[in-house]
Amino acid sequence: MSTKKDSSNKLQGKDLMNVGIYSAIYFVIVFAVAMLGYIPIMMPMLCVLVPLIAGVPFMLFLTKVKKFGMIWIMSIIMGILMLLTGMAQYALIIGAFSGLIAELIYKSGNYKSQSKAVLTCGVFSIWVWGNFIPLFFKRESYWAARQSFGEDYINTLNSLMPIWLCPILLAAAFVFGILGGLLGKTLLKKHFKKAGIA
Amino acid sequence: MIRLENVHFQYGDENENNGALHDINLEIPSGQAVLFCGESGCGKTTITRLINGLIPHFYEGRLTGKIRVDGQEIQSQELYDTAKIVGTVFQNPRSQFFNVDTRSEVAFGLENQGIREAEILKRVNQTVTEFQMESLMDRSIFELSGGEKQKIACACVSTSSPEVFVLDEPSANLDVHSMKLLHNMILRWKQQGKTIVIAEHRLAYIWNLIDRVIFLESGKIAKDMQPAEFLKLSETELHSMGLRSNNEQKISKMHKATDIKNIEFKDITFGYKKGKQILDISKIQIPEHEITAIIGHNGLGKSTFLRCICGLEKKCKTRMIKNGAMIKRKKCLAECFLVMQDVNHQLFTESVLDEVLISMEQEDKEKAQEILAELDLLEYAGRHPISLSGGQKQRVAVATAIASERDILLFDEPTSGLDYKHMLQVSAIFQKLKAKGKTIIVVTHDMEFIEAISANIIELNTNSVKNYAQKEFREEVDCNEKEKLPAEVI
Amino acid sequence: MEVLSSRKQRRGIGLDPRTTIVLLLMVAVFVLGGAGGNELIWARIILACVPVVLLLTSNNKLKCIVFVLVYLLGYFLQFYVLGHLTGILNSLMLATAGMITSFLPGLMMGYYAVSTTTVSEFVAAMERIHMPEQVIIPLSVMFRFFPTVVEEAGSINDAMRMRGIAMGGKHPGKMLEYRLIPIMTCSVKIGEELSAASLTRGLGAPVKRTNICKIGFGLWDILFLGLSICIVIYWVLILIGVRV
Repeated sequence: MSTKKDSSNKLQGKDLMNVGIYSAIYFVIVFAVAMLGYIPIMMPMLCVLVPLIAGVPFMLFLTKVKKFGMIWIMSIIMGILMLLTGMAQYALIIGAFSGLIAELIYKSGNYKSQSKAVLTCGVFSIWVWGNFIPLFFKRESYWAARQSFGEDYINTLNSLMPIWLCPILLAAAFVFGILGGLLGKTLLKKHFKKAGIA
Repeated sequence: MIRLENVHFQYGDENENNGALHDINLEIPSGQAVLFCGESGCGKTTITRLINGLIPHFYEGRLTGKIRVDGQEIQSQELYDTAKIVGTVFQNPRSQFFNVDTRSEVAFGLENQGIREAEILKRVNQTVTEFQMESLMDRSIFELSGGEKQKIACACVSTSSPEVFVLDEPSANLDVHSMKLLHNMILRWKQQGKTIVIAEHRLAYIWNLIDRVIFLESGKIAKDMQPAEFLKLSETELHSMGLRSNNEQKISKMHKATDIKNIEFKDITFGYKKGKQILDISKIQIPEHEITAIIGHNGLGKSTFLRCICGLEKKCKTRMIKNGAMIKRKKCLAECFLVMQDVNHQLFTESVLDEVLISMEQEDKEKAQEILAELDLLEYAGRHPISLSGGQKQRVAVATAIASERDILLFDEPTSGLDYKHMLQVSAIFQKLKAKGKTIIVVTHDMEFIEAISANIIELNTNSVKNYAQKEFREEVDCNEKEKLPAEVI
Repeated sequence: MEVLSSRKQRRGIGLDPRTTIVLLLMVAVFVLGGAGGNELIWARIILACVPVVLLLTSNNKLKCIVFVLVYLLGYFLQFYVLGHLTGILNSLMLATAGMITSFLPGLMMGYYAVSTTTVSEFVAAMERIHMPEQVIIPLSVMFRFFPTVVEEAGSINDAMRMRGIAMGGKHPGKMLEYRLIPIMTCSVKIGEELSAASLTRGLGAPVKRTNICKIGFGLWDILFLGLSICIVIYWVLILIGVRV
């Protein structure tokens, strides 16, 4: 995951610090939204809400991205955090790929193009979907550890999440990631440009 | 040692003239201690950033000319190489530490250079003994007071023993005692023959350390003189240059504390984890419709005190007695308004006018405009609050307080880091608020400001308060101060 | 508020940060993540006890006792009280109790990890396992920065309470914006100052960083790592279909 490009394009201390700072802001916001997942009906909705709201800090982050690797590293960091918070390894695996693709998309727009930025935001958001994989494909072991939630809760959730929902959630994460990107772009114009931080 | 040739600099935004520099030619020989001063926005911070390389490597903008430090051209040198010859202490102690524990922080600079562990430990210990800060080691940055943090920041720079020390308004958040500590650190560097560059407008604590004073005016060097010359300037001349007094204490007009009604606050108690009591004040009386200044040394919990009074601190069961009626904590929130030290926390909307409107019980555009006009903000009504200057933001916060019809206004260090002109602006706002019948409580270290607002003074201690009429306070401070400050200063 | 700790004296049995990270992962994967399903219930119980032991030996006895009591309460609710309730209340309470019992060990382990590992030790540990600098710097900055973001959010929340602007107030749609924007602007500003300060102190130089904190494996580390390895081997055996 290191970025061995020619040295002028190599990530410098400043860039790496930015990745850390924006990851912290991004994650705190994601975490706050994800608390809603406690209510069963909201669980699948997280694939809508998280990309939508997290699009705002992410778009701000993109204004600082000028070199290859920053988006990818952030994606991997989100995966690591998911692993540490007990959401299993899938977000890390998915994020390693979606982050790279997002990176390449933004790079293809020379780290400038606004429409590419919105698309990048959509692709980046797919890591959120990664967290849902065990719910669909590893249902048995996922709930084995959560027997204590009670039959009702598990049944409610399972009925809320039939297997066909899986690709829909993937699409939702992407689409709402794009919408989040657009929202972020609007807010960027409205607030941050004037504040001189974007 | 430091050489600036034909330097022009402008921050990214074309229209933004703040902090821009024009036509700077300057040579600072090795071992000289230079003070850069001038009004906010005159470019003194920009100069420090040119020397430590943050411009152009971190802050972007249009830069022409040459900057050399120790023969090296800063523009073409990477920041981590500049770091070996230039060390910087910043204004905000909250945001200049990478680590959380003090020892690692002091070692941080050397670790980054990849110096051997044994050598680092040796040098860290040396610094710790030199500055007598054993008691500050292996502690959390978060539990230190502002003064202690600034001491650590100085030690951090000191361990790497650079040739040039750059300080950017290091005293902005410090009380008199902490400024004295800072003074001693700088004195040490001076004795070691280091080159020192300080940007400041609080001048009192550093007079005897300075070899040269450079006064900047809208990005240009307006005066370059010996301190002796500068000291001859009268207070009024200094003030007209936007500078703070070079002398902390003055005789003041006696404040007439006639028989006024008091608001009483009871049971201001607050303890942190580990059972250490921070505040334990059973009763404090604040005169109504007057300005009261709360003073006390760094790290005493003055900000917590304000949070308790206005009912923000849930763990604190403070009650307020006003006009004979007892008001519980939650109701206090509706009576008081706290203007925080970092006003950015309390501005949310996209225009100044909106900001005032959402604070009103019933949105009333006309009234809102009236309030804005009163605070000289009308012309900014459509501006985004974040895009305003610090002082303007503060006034917007005050406007929201007036709009929400609060009677008690609390201020947390409203003048920290302000130059003379802006300090007077704040004081004018205070007088206006007082004329409107508001009760004002302000926490501050700024004696000149207290003077300007002729406030009642209350000195805060952990479990007691001491009331002063202003004059007797002056006398008391005078004699204390003489011990604390080096003789040359006075 | 602090996320990564500062003091050495709280360290208790003084695990190497690498061991702490491994244990954190083990608890996350097996206790929270439920890897291994029903066959590994024993491992889950052992791992759930690990943070209790660690906290007890460090100076966090009080917190440990509180954690254990809350845990037992959750357990008690599940088995004795909830059978007697019915309907939506029952399932909500059950879910809450379930959350407590499954998340608490992870939370305790996480608490132990962050309260006994300094930023500097974390960096040292990451360097020892040859994590590239491109991941170490962002990760350590992030952990350093979490409390700042949370602190900023807290101040903004205070300011909103003071202004009497609450969720669902006059402009419910805008509340999110009003909250999100200042959190971001304030955090970004502090972040910018933090990076500027770190860079003037030479962070990111292309030399091999040194580190003054001593890390290394001791008896306890070997014990806990051994335990972890056993569990993982058992898990792998199950995965490839060997019955033990």
